[in-house]
Amino acid sequence: MPDRGRPVLVVEDDPDLLALEQTILADAGYRVASAADGQEALEQVEREMPALILLDMRMPRMNGWEFAREFRARHGDACPIAVITAAENARLRAQEIQADAWLEKPFELEEVLELVALYLGPPAPPPTSPAPPGP
Amino acid sequence: MNGRVADSAGGGAGFGQPQGGEVLPGRRLTPLRIAALYAIVGAIWIVFSDRVLAALVQDATLQLRLQTVKGWFFVLTTAGLLYLLVTRLVAELRQRDERIRATVESMPDAVLVVDAEGQVVEVNRAAVQLLGATGEAQLLGPMTALAERFKLRRSDGSPFHPGDFASMRALRGETLRGYEAMIRRPDGRDVYVGVTASPVQRRAGERPRLAVAVVRDMSELRRFEEMREEFLATAAHEFKTPLAVIKAQAQLLQRRGEADPQGLQVLNRQVERLSRLTHQLLELSRLRLGGPELRRETYDLGEQVADVLERLQALAAGHRLSLSSREPAPVYADRERIEQVLVNLVDNAVKFSPGGCDVEASVARLGSEVQVSVRDQGVGIPHDKQSRVFERYYRAHAGTPEDYGGIGVGLDMSREIVSRHGGRMWFESEPGTGSIFCFTLPLAEGAAHA
Repeated sequence: MPDRGRPVLVVEDDPDLLALEQTILADAGYRVASAADGQEALEQVEREMPALILLDMRMPRMNGWEFAREFRARHGDACPIAVITAAENARLRAQEIQADAWLEKPFELEEVLELVALYLGPPAPPPTSPAPPGP
Repeated sequence: MNGRVADSAGGGAGFGQPQGGEVLPGRRLTPLRIAALYAIVGAIWIVFSDRVLAALVQDATLQLRLQTVKGWFFVLTTAGLLYLLVTRLVAELRQRDERIRATVESMPDAVLVVDAEGQVVEVNRAAVQLLGATGEAQLLGPMTALAERFKLRRSDGSPFHPGDFASMRALRGETLRGYEAMIRRPDGRDVYVGVTASPVQRRAGERPRLAVAVVRDMSELRRFEEMREEFLATAAHEFKTPLAVIKAQAQLLQRRGEADPQGLQVLNRQVERLSRLTHQLLELSRLRLGGPELRRETYDLGEQVADVLERLQALAAGHRLSLSSREPAPVYADRERIEQVLVNLVDNAVKFSPGGCDVEASVARLGSEVQVSVRDQGVGIPHDKQSRVFERYYRAHAGTPEDYGGIGVGLDMSREIVSRHGGRMWFESEPGTGSIFCFTLPLAEGAAHA
């Protein structure tokens, strides 16, 4: 469900990439929350349920697979998950954790924005009619 | 005496053949020589012994008695000589047999001999050890039973058709090297083996009645290979995050209009190139590691070829990419991987025809297969480099004016993908005239006769 009030949660262990993703989305007018690994992401989710989670798979402490399992166990389908991974087959990784979408690293900036727009509606100014959810 | 006959007829001094006469030192005894010697001695005895006796003994009764003794003497002497001859020949044969046997037994590689009926008739100690059997008897008997007991299968885990066993192919006259297979020992350990098999022929052209297979444990080598592949995969994977950062940063700068557009274009192009190479490396090492599985679906290959040509036409403005002929060709294949193969072949064709000429593809059905060909009129591949084109990391044009970069994994990967689909890939090339690369895929089930 498009919801410009709730943030996009970016989970990424590389600080440079995390900062970039945040900037790209903030530039487009989205509210952004961030986490450096699965554990931090879980804590974030407890504080505020995001509208979309952009999830890296290989991370220290708690990786993407573990996070997805834990998140689903606690919150079910409360929020869609999109996988952004450097693994050789993003689609397969996405299937493994029943993610809603996937992006392969290195990605196009436009691809990230399109993906987020799919779930939260296009960037500002806010749309009069919300975009349909889910691919 | 057969061995003797064969030796003298065969002539050459091969393995197991005596060097010079061993029965009588210095002279080589052939059956003909033995027979001739016997005939001469016998003839001299018959002609002269009576005359000598008549000259020495006058008494007729005594002569008659001595003649009987003489006859017995001849019989006993020849019998004794025959005995000596036969025992010496048999001893020599046995000695050679033992020598061959000991040699085969001492070989560190497993040896199996299979007869024309597909029965394993000889094995050595190394074979017993390699297969983890308790004794030779466990390995003798039908090859199919042996294959079943030790779970003989291809290196990718798929089963063998019995006609494809290396020994069976050798019985049909083929010599095989580097044939790869997997076996499972009774203790549950999987062993990766390399097999060399050849027909046993006494003369060229003779229908082989035996085949000999030499089997070597390659597990260590394979483990090493896997480690290398794993390292490659990890390295390629680790490249991707920094690439993603550079690419995103460049695009962000572009978006904000904060940098020189031309400089950014260069940055983007190089990042693109680096990520394509990284992707290739990663894909290739994954394929070699046996995964990921092919995700097959049924679709029309002709349509895919047309799509790829259309897409790549946009990137090859100076070339004309065309599909000269096309037939409906439903295949049951991994669409993404076959696309990689097509992109690779068309990309190469464009890359190696710098003048910007036609690149022509065709899709044709041949029996139960479909054949895709990609022809260019480019620089071609030098004759002396053609045999290495499918080698990994090999770049036929490295260091020449036609060196257009790349890491030399495209064709190796393409062939690997095609072969995993049960197809083949090959090429013909003439320097200065161009190349044609072809591959086949099996038609989807039920489509072969449609």
